[in-house]
Amino acid sequence: MIPQTFEYTAPQTLEEALTLIAGGDRKILAGGMSLIPLMKLRLATPDEVVDLGRVPGLNGIAESGGVVRIGAMATHHAIETSRVTRAHCPLLAETAGHIGDVQVRNVGTIGGAVAHADPAADYPAALLALEAQVRLVSAHSDRTVAASGFFQDAFTTALDPGEIVLEVQVPVEDKSEGYSYEKVAHPASGFAVVGVAARIKKDGNRIATARIGVTGMGAHAFRALAAEKLLEDGASVSEASAVVGEGETPNSDLYASADYRLHLARVHAARALATAISRAS
Amino acid sequence: MKVSGAYTLNVPQERAYALLQNPAILATCMPGCEALDRIAENEYAMRMKMVLASISGLFAGKVSIADPNPPSSYRLIVEGSGKIGFMKGEGVLTLSPADGGTSVAFEGHVQVGGTIASVGQRLLDTTSRMLIKRFFTKLAAEAAQAGVERIAAD
Repeated sequence: MIPQTFEYTAPQTLEEALTLIAGGDRKILAGGMSLIPLMKLRLATPDEVVDLGRVPGLNGIAESGGVVRIGAMATHHAIETSRVTRAHCPLLAETAGHIGDVQVRNVGTIGGAVAHADPAADYPAALLALEAQVRLVSAHSDRTVAASGFFQDAFTTALDPGEIVLEVQVPVEDKSEGYSYEKVAHPASGFAVVGVAARIKKDGNRIATARIGVTGMGAHAFRALAAEKLLEDGASVSEASAVVGEGETPNSDLYASADYRLHLARVHAARALATAISRAS
Repeated sequence: MKVSGAYTLNVPQERAYALLQNPAILATCMPGCEALDRIAENEYAMRMKMVLASISGLFAGKVSIADPNPPSSYRLIVEGSGKIGFMKGEGVLTLSPADGGTSVAFEGHVQVGGTIASVGQRLLDTTSRMLIKRFFTKLAAEAAQAGVERIAAD
């Protein structure tokens, strides 16, 4: 449980950090909740680690112009408890509260989680349902990518070499919207066996907008577009949740087979949708 | 763990079969493959560097081809080990014509052990599928490229 020797740098400014990262194959350390255990097991043996922990101004959570901006180094706990996220994007706050355990939530960060892109991570489901964006910067670029284009494959994102996640931008949820995140947590790791994030906007008794993000099922989180469309066309929750995961090849491991995972996804989609609908006004 | 799937290559079946047995092509297409050297008829020594998210590890092993039945099927046996674990896989590749191209279906099983398997069990399925997909995507690109070169040569 002792990592291989590595070079450690802790830049004091964002500029310094970006210059360092541009200069070669360096591993970036945010909260370290995935990287450090891998290093201790020597599954990850980076030569150089750049710690973003001392860079100021990366962990802010603020709302302006209808967008909640969450700094990459904001911890899951901060996102779970922040007054800003609770008021303006409660789905994300609720999701953050489901990650790992309290020790992980106190140290792990949203930037680290999205950059790592674990196929069973919780955030991607919520970020897809929220139609959020991820802002990426490097020493000479600054761009914003929609969450749907950011998560590309297992552990594979739109990040180019030399880029870091600067912030996550979430459009403010309408007060009348209902939301819910339903998850089956793996008993040992706390990762989502499946997780479903739902967002519902009602127009009278009709569902005007439905957004469903599913994680843990495939190589990366995805939107259940067919189910969303059915709901918006007036189908019932049970009809809509029955098509969640259609066309996907669900993951299979010792804990949950592909069929069981698909079943869990549909059951939990139905629960998340029912809660979201009851919360919507 | 069972692995199976099917991919389509836009080349005739004989050509696809030849590509799938060409060590130079295989070496470029296998994710992380650093060397693939012939040690005997249908047997190659392989060195690969697996890089996946933060995990990286060197593997050394052997790739062999058995029961060749050109141009429709062969058995592929891959084994490798490194500091972070070992893997052993065996499968049958079946080629069949599919409108204008060749469909390559494979079915087999893979065993993974060591640290990588005990820690990453929940990810083995996803990642093996991802690596196989990368292999075939690259192979399809190579096949297209080789096709273009051949037309140019003709």
